Amino acid sequence: MTIYALYIYDRHCECVYYQDWHQTRKPQPPRAGGTYRRDVARYDEGGNGEGDAGREEEAAKRKGTVAGLPFDEQAKLVYGVLLSLRNMVKKLSGRDNEQFTAYRTSSYKFHLYTTPTNFHFIMMSDPLADSLRGVLRQLYVGPFLAYVVRNPLVDWDTEGQEGKEPRSRGVDNDLGDHEDSTGGRMKLLRRSGASGCIATNKD
Amino acid sequence: MGVSLSCHLPLAQEGIKPLTLRSGLFSFLRRPSLSSSFGSTPTSSDGIAQLSANEYLVMAGTLHGVHAITSRIAPVAKSSGVQTIESESFKMTIHMTLTGIKFVLISSTDMSNAESILQKVYEAYADAVMKNPFYTLEMPINATGFETRMNAIVAAAGR
Repeated sequence: MTIYALYIYDRHCECVYYQDWHQTRKPQPPRAGGTYRRDVARYDEGGNGEGDAGREEEAAKRKGTVAGLPFDEQAKLVYGVLLSLRNMVKKLSGRDNEQFTAYRTSSYKFHLYTTPTNFHFIMMSDPLADSLRGVLRQLYVGPFLAYVVRNPLVDWDTEGQEGKEPRSRGVDNDLGDHEDSTGGRMKLLRRSGASGCIATNKD
Repeated sequence: MGVSLSCHLPLAQEGIKPLTLRSGLFSFLRRPSLSSSFGSTPTSSDGIAQLSANEYLVMAGTLHGVHAITSRIAPVAKSSGVQTIESESFKMTIHMTLTGIKFVLISSTDMSNAESILQKVYEAYADAVMKNPFYTLEMPINATGFETRMNAIVAAAGR
C-alpha cells in the first residue's frame, strides 16, 4: 500500500496541513500573488513563495518527478472535488447525513473523513487500498487532538472571531514529531510509507 | 448482494425517467445531457432519492467537471478521471468510453461486478442505439430494443 498525500482542511475551506510521500507529481510552491500560508506543508519553508516555474521543473526532472500544479491551486481543486461530490452524494441519497467516503481513479484513491467540527481529513493512496477512514480517524483522535487542538500555540481556529486577526497559517508545529503517547498511530503511518503525521516546521 | 432488482422499467415514452430506487443506471453523453436512466428494486427508506430530470442534469454537469478535475489533481503523472465514488450506503461506478460517453451505475456498496455490468450496457448501447438509424446523436434514447436489453441486464444483475 502506498500513501501519497494527506490534506487537512478546516471548516473555512482552507488547507491547514499538507504532507506528501512518494508522489511522482508534486505540487509546486504557490505562484506569486497566490494565497500562501505558513505551517501548512513541510516544503513551504525553503520556498520564497514565488515559484520559479522553469527552475522547479528542472529540479523535478532530476528527481524523476513531474511538476504538478501550484500548491494553492491544487489545494483548491481538491477541496472543490470534495465539495461537489459531497453535495452530489447528499442529493442522490436524499439524506443530509449521507457521507461521501471515497473515490477511485485508475491511479489513486481518495479517502475522506470529516470530523463533527468540520475538519476534513483527506488521504490519497494507491487505488487498491482498503478504506483508510479508520486511519484518518486515528490521526484525528490521536496526533491532531494532542498536538493541534490541545496546543495553545496553534491558532487552529480564529477565523471569524471578533477581535482576532484572521488566521494566516496552518497547524503544523514541532511537537507532532515526538513519538511518545501516540507513537503507535504514527508508526502505523510510517509503516505504510509515511514519515510522520502532524510534523515538523521550524518556527 | 444488497440489491434485488425486480424490475418493471416502463420508460419508453420519456427519455428520462427518474431513478426511484436503490439501484439504478443512467448514462450521459459527451456534453452533460442525460440520455437515459433506469431504475429498479422495491423502494426502501434508505434508497436513492427521487430526483427531477433537471436535478439529474445538474448532477451530470457536476460529474463531468469532477471527472476532469480528478485526473488533474492526481499524485502521480498519469491518471484517468474518477471511476468509482463511494458513500456510506451506496456507490457509483462510472465507465467512460473512448468516445467520451459516460455510463454511471448506482448500486449498493457490495456490488462487485459493476464494471462488467457497465461493459454489457455499453455493448447494448452500441448494438441497439448506435446501429439504430432513427437515433439522433446526443438526444435522449428512445429505442425499444435498448430497453429490452437493459431490462435483461438489470434483472440479471439483481439476482
